[in-house]
Amino acid sequence: MSDLNGLDVPVLDGFLNDLRQPDNLEGLSGPWRARVSWQGGFKAKAHMRTHTLELDEPAVLGTGDVAASAHELLLSAVASCMMVGFVLNATRRGVRVDDLEIAIEGTFAHIARWAGLDDSGNPGYGGITAKAYVRADADEATIQEIWKLAVDGSPVTQTVTHATPVTTELEIL
Amino acid sequence: VPGVDLLFPVTTVGSWARPPELVKALRGRQAGEIDESEFAKVADEAVLECLRYQDEAGVDIVTDGEQRRDNFYSFVTDKIDGMRLMRVSDLLDHVPDRARFEETLRALDVPAFAIKSPVAVARVAKRSDLAADEVRFLRQHTDKPIKVPLPGPYLLSRSAWFEELSQGAYPTQEDLTTDLVAILRDEIVALRDAGADFVQLDEPTLTQVVYGEESTETFMCAALGSRRDPSDEMEFAVRLVNETVDGIDGVHLGVHVCRGNWSRREDVLLEGNYGPLLPYLVQMNVDQLVLEMATPRAGEAEVFKEYGNEKEIGLGLINPRTDEIESVGSVVSRVEEFLQYFDADKIYLNPDCGFGTFAERCVNTPETSFEKLKVLSEAAQILRSNYGKETP
Repeated sequence: MSDLNGLDVPVLDGFLNDLRQPDNLEGLSGPWRARVSWQGGFKAKAHMRTHTLELDEPAVLGTGDVAASAHELLLSAVASCMMVGFVLNATRRGVRVDDLEIAIEGTFAHIARWAGLDDSGNPGYGGITAKAYVRADADEATIQEIWKLAVDGSPVTQTVTHATPVTTELEIL
Repeated sequence: VPGVDLLFPVTTVGSWARPPELVKALRGRQAGEIDESEFAKVADEAVLECLRYQDEAGVDIVTDGEQRRDNFYSFVTDKIDGMRLMRVSDLLDHVPDRARFEETLRALDVPAFAIKSPVAVARVAKRSDLAADEVRFLRQHTDKPIKVPLPGPYLLSRSAWFEELSQGAYPTQEDLTTDLVAILRDEIVALRDAGADFVQLDEPTLTQVVYGEESTETFMCAALGSRRDPSDEMEFAVRLVNETVDGIDGVHLGVHVCRGNWSRREDVLLEGNYGPLLPYLVQMNVDQLVLEMATPRAGEAEVFKEYGNEKEIGLGLINPRTDEIESVGSVVSRVEEFLQYFDADKIYLNPDCGFGTFAERCVNTPETSFEKLKVLSEAAQILRSNYGKETP
């Protein structure tokens, strides 16, 4: 096994090569799924494949604050996805990543709508900023290129950037 | 300082930018990829280069540029059993109020992986020299007086006692300080015997104690949450320094207190004059206070009025974090301001802080640092000719 950045490189390369087959590419494309169930208060449990994640809201909202909130997980998801892309592209180029950290933040554009104080405006993040700190065994131009590929190729980042339509449906039991 | 018979001796606060090959070697040593002898080869060269810069700049009391150290205090983890070097990113798992740490990281604009702190995870005991080996090497290559910075007892005890990780070996911070003071005392004697002329105890967190409430905090105090009242902390620091130096003679002793040297952004560094600190600093039984006075953040010189001559002052006269080279005239004028409160033989000239406090985030290049030191030397010559060449 040839290991770089904690990844089994032949396995990764093999998988990426297999994506040239349409069936494999379709399989990776999705659908990706989560099932979220209410746990009382603002607590929730999200089940994804074999994983479960708890969510809650800050205590000021009268709940227990036992876990991070959905909007924080969105930020974490964006940053984590960029990180995956960075390590993927670094590894494919044989670049060793020593340290990588992404600080990300967003501010709601008009949270009054969420709070029911207004019926218009965007309650979502008005913008998100992310700063990556990296220490890797490559020259600056290569690292910049890897970072660009990571951001531009990040499914989660681009989902947020492209304001993906969310189709919803309600069934009352 | 023994061996210095000039007024206005020029010195540094300690650190110097590490060349890229040394940064790589420091990483390699930490990762266990290279052994000590391989590391020493690279580090020895870097020390000699740093010494050459100081010699050519006319520095009177030299240091080894802390070239062998990752930073000014974390390096002790290699020398003291029971200490573990931990990154703030790892410490986050043990911090109840992570939001506060996040605020600080953002204010400092630093990644959590880049800040490392020595944490006591077992009973501490000196495994090897902390810095006497540095002095022995430097002594072989210079006849000049040697200054050695050591992390002070307050800094070490505040950064190393981290409740969740330390309480197994040391139920309280006080328990840990007893062992740390003993280690530092032993090291100061070893440094003196190895040929050091001046030992500087670095206590930068003291400004955080006084100004930290309203300002940006650093991670040098790992146990941020357990900070007590500032006056209690200062009294604690005075006691620790005095216990550390008690009865030790034959070596010049100083305490360095600054407001942070991790960023070139002035707005993220602490601000405030030395007024609230001086009543405590003058109680420390050391010869010299090494203080930063080169930026407006350090406040006015008048606060020294009632403390003039109580100690020597290692006067910070140049900003180690800028590209601009200070003018000789401005340095001379600043010293003359202090001559209102200090006799000429009480004033040493130095930068505000080191040029490379953190090996991976050095605040200046060797070339610029060299030019800045030359300004100090030129200013010293003018001052000597104006105020007499010999120590009275």
